[in-house]
Amino acid sequence: MIRFSNVSKHYPPNTCALEHVNLHIKPGEFVSIVGQSGSGKTTLAKLLFAEERATKGKIVVGDWDISSIHTSDIPVLRRQIGIVFQDFKLLSRKTVFENVSFALEVAGEERKRIRDIVPQVLKIVGLSDKHHRYPRQLSGGEQQRVSIARALVHRPKILVADEPTGNLDTIHAHEIIQLLKKINEYGTTVVLVTHDRDIVNALKKRVVTIADGRIVSDIERGKYLIS
Amino acid sequence: MSFLLSVARLGKFTFQNIFRNFWLSFITSTIFVLTLVTINAVLFMNVAAKAVLEAVEQKVEITFSFLPETSESIVTSAQGYLRGFSQVRDVQFIPSDEVLANFQDRHQADEVILSSLDELGENPFGHSLVVTTYSTEDFEFIREAMETPEFSQYIKEQDFTDYQLVIEKIKSLNTRTRYFGFGLAALFSLIAIMIIFNTIRVAIYVHRDEIAIMKLVGANDWFIRGPFVLEALLYSFLSTLVMVAIVFAVFGALQIQMTLFFGDAWQGTVDYFRDNAFIIFGLQFATLALLSLLTTAFAMRKYLKT
Ligand SMILES: Nc1ncnc2c1ncn2[C@@H]1O[C@H](COP(=O)(O)OP(=O)(O)O)[C@@H](O)[C@H]1O
Ligand SMILES: [Mg+2]
Repeated sequence: MIRFSNVSKHYPPNTCALEHVNLHIKPGEFVSIVGQSGSGKTTLAKLLFAEERATKGKIVVGDWDISSIHTSDIPVLRRQIGIVFQDFKLLSRKTVFENVSFALEVAGEERKRIRDIVPQVLKIVGLSDKHHRYPRQLSGGEQQRVSIARALVHRPKILVADEPTGNLDTIHAHEIIQLLKKINEYGTTVVLVTHDRDIVNALKKRVVTIADGRIVSDIERGKYLIS
Repeated sequence: MSFLLSVARLGKFTFQNIFRNFWLSFITSTIFVLTLVTINAVLFMNVAAKAVLEAVEQKVEITFSFLPETSESIVTSAQGYLRGFSQVRDVQFIPSDEVLANFQDRHQADEVILSSLDELGENPFGHSLVVTTYSTEDFEFIREAMETPEFSQYIKEQDFTDYQLVIEKIKSLNTRTRYFGFGLAALFSLIAIMIIFNTIRVAIYVHRDEIAIMKLVGANDWFIRGPFVLEALLYSFLSTLVMVAIVFAVFGALQIQMTLFFGDAWQGTVDYFRDNAFIIFGLQFATLALLSLLTTAFAMRKYLKT
């Protein structure tokens, strides 16, 4: 599903965010990418959805070599990868429903399909009854669920979440992780970037640890190793 | 995906852009209108000045009065000679009777002159030739041509109304206003370009969150750029409409005064604008739209990194 082959990423002038990364993620996996702040986790996620380009190496998503993806193809890639951030990135002037349907509108989806899909994903994240609310009328956990719903509208094969619980308290964080597990059980490959030790340890899924831009461990049913 | 649906959504985003920055949109359109109105004022002056010049030039004539005893055949041969020049528009032969009648007409109120004419008992005037040229600049040429000994010995006097000064004045006024007008129009165009650039820049800035999310969720590129392109087009189109309304409103409002002042030249100019409205205003819209599209493209390149 996802394969990094000897990938390096340098930021000018002299930052090596990633160095010789080799990583293979199989379809349907739930992988946690962990490491200290500044270790290169976000960079790895950005390479995945072509927000950044690898300096060296090859990145394949599905059957698609995106190492030198054409700018005009990036929207196509983004519709195959759901993306979730720490800061939700919701539009404050739009309701929950509009925030989610926005993703379909700007991809040119038919109105009828939008009316079908949006309630479905809102149901998955458990926000059916709050679809008319504005983001400020929701808790942090609920806002993050809206952003997950938005990430799901294109029925992506991959969901990338960069510190999705970073702004949430423990209880809401736990809810979000449960939601990601549920989505993974439906068959979506989940890449979770986090530095939350408790979450990783409770998950009992594959853990890839990065330090200074290199993968230092990769363990099935792993634990958070580095303190 | 249906084309209409996309256009409708683009339109929605565009109108959001425009109304969220209402004053900016208002100022942009106003500057556009000012630019267009200035350009049309210059254009109008130009067309009007040409029409006035033409009218004046048509009135300019040079009259050769022959000696009373000169035979008609000599005068008509001079007429033929003059007609041979390409600069000459027309040569009118006026027989001596008519010259006398015209003279009497002109001096109807002057008893002394009329009675002294009566005393003379015979027509003191010879035949005349009235020459009109295509251009007042050919006057000198015609006068020199008549200095040939063949005819000059029969000519009593030549007389021309001195419109030259008037014409020069109109011409120099027109040249000056044209330079001034073009300068003003260029200045306004420059301001218009800067304004549209800034408007699009602000629109991009105001929508930076939306744009970031659009990119995130895989929006089509033209969906991100479309609203700004459409916005620029819309400003151009709306201001063209307003300008056309202003131009014809001004024409209507000034109809009476201007006809008094310019005579036929005014109506001719208005007609010129009306008959060529599509070309004149269409060209202006096309130019404005092109300029603002280029500027928008430039602003997007600079601020809408993809
Ligand atoms: N756009 C950028 N330009 C330059 N350096 C960057 C940029 N983004 C990240 N970095 C650097 O790359 C390294 C890895 O950053 P990042 O991937 O954000 O780490 P993490 O997400 O693990 O905290 C850090 O040293 C960071 O300062
Ligand atoms: Mg990070």
